Amino acid sequence: MQTRLLLTVFIFLFVIQAKAHPTKDTITTITINAVGGLQYDVTRFKVKPGAKVRIIFTNKDDMSHNLVITKPGARLEVVNAALSLGNDGQKINYIPHVPAVLWSLPILGPGETKTVSFIAPGAAGIYPYVCTYPGHGVVMYGAMYVTNGEMPAIKDDPNIPPNKKTDAGEDDSAHHDHMTPKIAHAYQEEPPYVCRIFIPDASPAAIAVRLPHELSYCWDAGTCHLRYAWQGGFLDNADIWKGHHDAYGVILGTVFFYDKTDYPLQVDKPGNIPVVAFKGYQLLKRYPEFHYTINGIDVYELIKPKEDGMGLIRTFRIPKTDRTIWFVADPGDGVSYQSSGGKWINGKLKILPGEAGRFTITMTKNKP
Amino acid sequence: MKLYVAGLLLSGLCIFSNCSTKEKGTASAESYRVESITMPEGLTAETGGLDFLPDGRLVACFLRGEVMIYDPKTKQWSLFAQGLHDPLGILAISASEMLVMQRPELTRIKDTDGDGQADLYETVTDDFGVTGNYHEFNYGPVRDKEGNLFIALNSASGGGGVRPEVRGRLDTTGRSAGKEMFSVVPYRGWIMKLTPGGKLLPYAMGFRSPNGLGFDQQGNLLATDNQGDWVGTSKLYHVQEGNFYGHPGSLIWRKGWNKGNPFNLSVQALDSMRTEAAVLFPQDIIANSPTQPLCDTTNGKFGPFKGQLFVGEMNSGRIVRVMLERVAGELQGACIPFIDGKGLKKGNNRLAFAPDGSLWTGHAAYGWGGDNGIQRIVFTGKQPADIYSMHLTAQGFDLTFTQPLDDASALNPDHYKFQRYYYEYHKKYGSARMDERMIPVTDIKISGDHRKVSLALDSLQSGYVYQLNVGSIKTLSGDSLENKIICYTVKNLISPDLK
Repeated sequence: MQTRLLLTVFIFLFVIQAKAHPTKDTITTITINAVGGLQYDVTRFKVKPGAKVRIIFTNKDDMSHNLVITKPGARLEVVNAALSLGNDGQKINYIPHVPAVLWSLPILGPGETKTVSFIAPGAAGIYPYVCTYPGHGVVMYGAMYVTNGEMPAIKDDPNIPPNKKTDAGEDDSAHHDHMTPKIAHAYQEEPPYVCRIFIPDASPAAIAVRLPHELSYCWDAGTCHLRYAWQGGFLDNADIWKGHHDAYGVILGTVFFYDKTDYPLQVDKPGNIPVVAFKGYQLLKRYPEFHYTINGIDVYELIKPKEDGMGLIRTFRIPKTDRTIWFVADPGDGVSYQSSGGKWINGKLKILPGEAGRFTITMTKNKP
Repeated sequence: MKLYVAGLLLSGLCIFSNCSTKEKGTASAESYRVESITMPEGLTAETGGLDFLPDGRLVACFLRGEVMIYDPKTKQWSLFAQGLHDPLGILAISASEMLVMQRPELTRIKDTDGDGQADLYETVTDDFGVTGNYHEFNYGPVRDKEGNLFIALNSASGGGGVRPEVRGRLDTTGRSAGKEMFSVVPYRGWIMKLTPGGKLLPYAMGFRSPNGLGFDQQGNLLATDNQGDWVGTSKLYHVQEGNFYGHPGSLIWRKGWNKGNPFNLSVQALDSMRTEAAVLFPQDIIANSPTQPLCDTTNGKFGPFKGQLFVGEMNSGRIVRVMLERVAGELQGACIPFIDGKGLKKGNNRLAFAPDGSLWTGHAAYGWGGDNGIQRIVFTGKQPADIYSMHLTAQGFDLTFTQPLDDASALNPDHYKFQRYYYEYHKKYGSARMDERMIPVTDIKISGDHRKVSLALDSLQSGYVYQLNVGSIKTLSGDSLENKIICYTVKNLISPDLK
């Protein structure tokens, strides 16, 4: 702890001094983190020939990683040399004793930080850095540009991993700023269709459904109710499909409905929040009809777009019940309601057992 | 129903060597050859599960949610289901019904109207927690002879978080202060048993990343685990009810647990509760990320290794072979590479035997160092030259070979180099090989049929891996051995009274 404190003070003094004498003893400090998905968060940086360089390397991933700087063009040679260490690799941090290795930081466990300082080569060039932990070096690397000039445009840079050339990730996936993702499946996705993936503002068991009219909704299998609905694009899953880190599918539209109730269906009297269980769904002309129970009563719910595309029609079937069911909504949830049956009392719909076999709730987007 | 014919696409586009259906370097002299299956255009073939339907077609699920069926006769793919959440296991019931393990549920998918696509998605169980942490993968199901299903629930990653809204009871007392994997909802880090009556019961705990469930020939439940915190090197466990296998996070969900945060217990306390693995896969030597264990039930169609296990490896183009035996009442045994390279890709995530006895392997990477696609390994009929089995004896080991050996090379003591070591049980990510030492071979005998070599060692100790590097031993027909490193985990010694 004390050493670290002293080191920090030392760095601080060094930086102060560097500021005072900008032409002498200037140190270029680069902070690089290993992050989830076998990658460094910084995949390229620039230093001047002969510059003093300090790399602060932190492993923010849950696996082990090192960082090895090689001679220009020698990345794969060093990766392969590390692989061929086999039996003995771990003891020497998978850093092979070959001339192509210039500087290195050893294997760091999750959460560890280490620093390396060196004088950049006098010869301008592109010096790769790479994690030589077995299996990582093919995708986990970056480039140190030693130059007095500029680096090439990032999208044309052949010295960084292909998936780091844009912010959106994989080449075959969507860009965040595009409304329609590129092909992501082996079949044409014609709405309606279901996509189960982590999405925001719901439980981790949520279901996203794409409908015609550029409508989409989130029905949550964890809580058994419609959470929200949006219009516009569907989801950009590029970030989540990179794998190996926490991520969400990004909603590519405008949310127009957001459930604000404790639970929309209540039994016997308003305020009774039922115990729910998710039983699955069946596809009816590819529209999912959700099956769940509230206090043990079977409920089926099918959600379709309004014909004019201005909202949703929810068809409920509660085939076997002798109880009164209440449908409740919050006036501030973004839509107005109409029902095929039942009786609205103070903004709550009362459905008698005889009417519960099938009823619809139409939710129309409020005019902005 | 849409059909996909993809063979035509390849001719113009193939730039990688693994695009061809038959790999290079598979001369007729090989015992096994690797073939790549042409995948449908546009599919990101991160394979989460493989199985064969009773009609001989393959069913595969992929991490972006598809379930697809492949007919090996017509080489055509069709879509059976889609929209699932990271499906990492599939069990075919019939051509129209399958069980799929996805993140939020174990789901029964069914084609009820006969159009070739699933239209019914029924929850079989969702009686476990999910926090949204990316590493909470779910594996299985596998089914035992009594009809119970087993699934495995990965621990959450210390490199990830917990979402504001979780499913299941949140209890953060079991969260480590460090970067260790954790379990804050039930029953992360457990293997669960689903009874035929539909009740999900906690079965065994202490798993970090058990990406592989299977049974041996006797019906013992097995699971692999991946090197990391509290796992010095990757392992194969014999999973038995109520046991704790070493990763602490899951302990808070043990019935009657009253010891608080398990990460605060001493290593000695945790170690005393722990059941050790049947087989250790030494890191960088045998496997760095083992996956599914699959018993060879092909009755010789896949070669001589009937009843042994094959285990996929993510980090290299390798499949590992495992042989088990009972010593002092417990399963233990050896692991040896089975196939290395020969066109086999990395990311061997799932295995399945086809009715014709070929071994299919589904690849995945998902942000780790793997690959995509599906390949199959075919036994050519040529008997491999390999170590068939390795048994512990009171003095050392008996090695049985797939073919009779040339006595001179088999009796040469220079051809047997033993070293032994163990792996530390600690919170640090992985372990170095500890107390590593060469062990001299003191005696070599060969059986009358030239197939069995009995080796006596200078010393034998339990709790160590015995790694044997064999030299240039030849078979009677002059072949060299395919694989020259085999690692035996001595969990127990043969008891002296059986000498």
